Amino acid sequence: MLTFRLAVRNLFRNTRRTILTMMMIGFSVSALILVDAITQGMLRSLTDTFTKTLTGEAQVLRAGYSESFDVDLYISNVSDVEALLSRDAAIAATSPRVVTGGMIASSYNVISGMTHGIDPLKETDVSRLDEALVAGEFLRGSPLEILIGTGMQEILEVDLGDRIVVTTAAADTGELTQALFRVSGIFQFGIRGMDDSFAFINIADAQSMLSMNDAAHQIIVQFRDPDTANLPLQLATDLSDWEQTEIYSWMTLNREIASMLEMSSIGTVILGSILFLLVSFGVVNSMFMSVYERIYEIGVIKAVGTRPFEIIRLILTEAFVLGFASCLFGGLLASLVGFATADSGIPLGQYEVSGVALNEAILPVLTPSQFVTYPIYTTLLTMLAAVYPAVYASRIAPSEALRKSL
Amino acid sequence: MPQVIQTQNLSRRFGEGDTLVRAVENVSLTIDSGEFTALIGPSGSGKSTLLHLIGGLDIPHEGSVKLSGVDIASISGAALSDFRRDHIGFIFQSYNLIPVLTAEENIEYVMLLQNVAAGERKTRVSEMLELVGLSGLGHRRPPELSGGQQQRVAVARAMASQPDIILADEPTANLDSKTGATLLDVMRELNQSLGVTFVFSTHDQMIMDRAKRLVHLRDGEIELDELRESVAT
Repeated sequence: MLTFRLAVRNLFRNTRRTILTMMMIGFSVSALILVDAITQGMLRSLTDTFTKTLTGEAQVLRAGYSESFDVDLYISNVSDVEALLSRDAAIAATSPRVVTGGMIASSYNVISGMTHGIDPLKETDVSRLDEALVAGEFLRGSPLEILIGTGMQEILEVDLGDRIVVTTAAADTGELTQALFRVSGIFQFGIRGMDDSFAFINIADAQSMLSMNDAAHQIIVQFRDPDTANLPLQLATDLSDWEQTEIYSWMTLNREIASMLEMSSIGTVILGSILFLLVSFGVVNSMFMSVYERIYEIGVIKAVGTRPFEIIRLILTEAFVLGFASCLFGGLLASLVGFATADSGIPLGQYEVSGVALNEAILPVLTPSQFVTYPIYTTLLTMLAAVYPAVYASRIAPSEALRKSL
Repeated sequence: MPQVIQTQNLSRRFGEGDTLVRAVENVSLTIDSGEFTALIGPSGSGKSTLLHLIGGLDIPHEGSVKLSGVDIASISGAALSDFRRDHIGFIFQSYNLIPVLTAEENIEYVMLLQNVAAGERKTRVSEMLELVGLSGLGHRRPPELSGGQQQRVAVARAMASQPDIILADEPTANLDSKTGATLLDVMRELNQSLGVTFVFSTHDQMIMDRAKRLVHLRDGEIELDELRESVAT
């Protein structure tokens, strides 16, 4: 107890130096917490944008479909699979899609594109297609409706109500099939690839064109907790009996984005290491200054019988108090910044990651673990940085210390 | 009287070659329990070095120091710290006390190292403060005490651990003559009433006047060992 009292009082013998050191450590802790919070926020925004745009949090696919997009690799009995999925407590919603490549033509132009047959009612639960509409109306389930992107609208030189012909090959037979649609809505995701070449029609029209009856190529899955989509995917549903059908997390389907998530963790570790290194130099310097200033006093307390270990304990306790108090300050600072930006977010302008446009302000994700983990690491590091000055102080020969100071 | 200190052919040198200084050279000295002895001599005569060697603060190049029958050279590290804690009380010239602790806490410090029970510590702190005439000032920190009061706290701290011997290195050097005399009277009183052994390193005439034995040092060697019949009171 006296050691603790002594440590606290020793720290405030040079208040200015202690406060400066505390600010250095505290700012580093708050920087670590905030950088992690912003990174998490950015990744959440990226993930959210990515999964809600079209991919979904997971997809039920036939084995091999994700590599080949072969129209023949479809799930035959969508209703049964969806019924099975709906029994899984982790799954909030599902929506089937028929996906086919083909030619999309207007009276003025023709392009190749991807046509998605969707269930309008279910689709709104798994994607933001309805929110991306910039003109016209979302699909209502009526025949001949088609949604196209702003890029495709420009290329085909069409407007709402204009006619479009979609030509594709039927599943299994490969025979060419055509259907006429009228533009009912225009969407804009801000992703050029999608805005230029994607079109959405009602699933019944797509199934009819491809002669697929109640079949679909994808069943998009939305979880109650988005983190469920993180790997490894652990679900109660087993689809192995259904024509080699499996559930693939969006992270499996998009390794590029998943790798980015992993890289961001490494980035935080690198940043943390640099900050920790800078802090440790500061702490070593501060503690050495403190030891040098007290060299005579250390000589005296060693002379009266303080063991070397007890000197080390005293200096490390000082470092602990310094680190702990600094972390409280840093944590408080991070909380204040976090709360100040909780609603409005931090505007980083528009940027694109893997073809996904992000223009929303980043909402920092502050979690209790950040306020526990980083302060613990920092306090431990502060103590680690103090080991050298502590050992130095413990090894000072009393007679040497007394002679040096006189 | 049993012997508390025995040094045998004690030598300590600093530097080497042209800068070699023989701080203590071939010193053999015995001090009995209850003595009030002063190591005296001019600056550089080796008083403080000899005191540090006796107190186990420094290691001799040659010779041995036995304190209460224990050869100090045979112990080191934590054991030496424990030995000093339990057998020797130190009073230094200045900055003796830990400035962030109160007078009471400074006196209590060594007893905490000794793991003395809380009740016993409290009793001894009160007794020591009374003994050195500082009752009522125990809550003050060193900067709030005068130089003389600080040295008295140092005496109380040295006494609190109930050592075999108290080594005082120029204890009155930073005190005015009146305060110094008062402090010496306190120590003399403790010596006479409790039989505590005091060994001083000094060139202060007031201490020389009060010491029963004067060990004169010159160039690290004992020049004269003088036992006096009568001393100033």
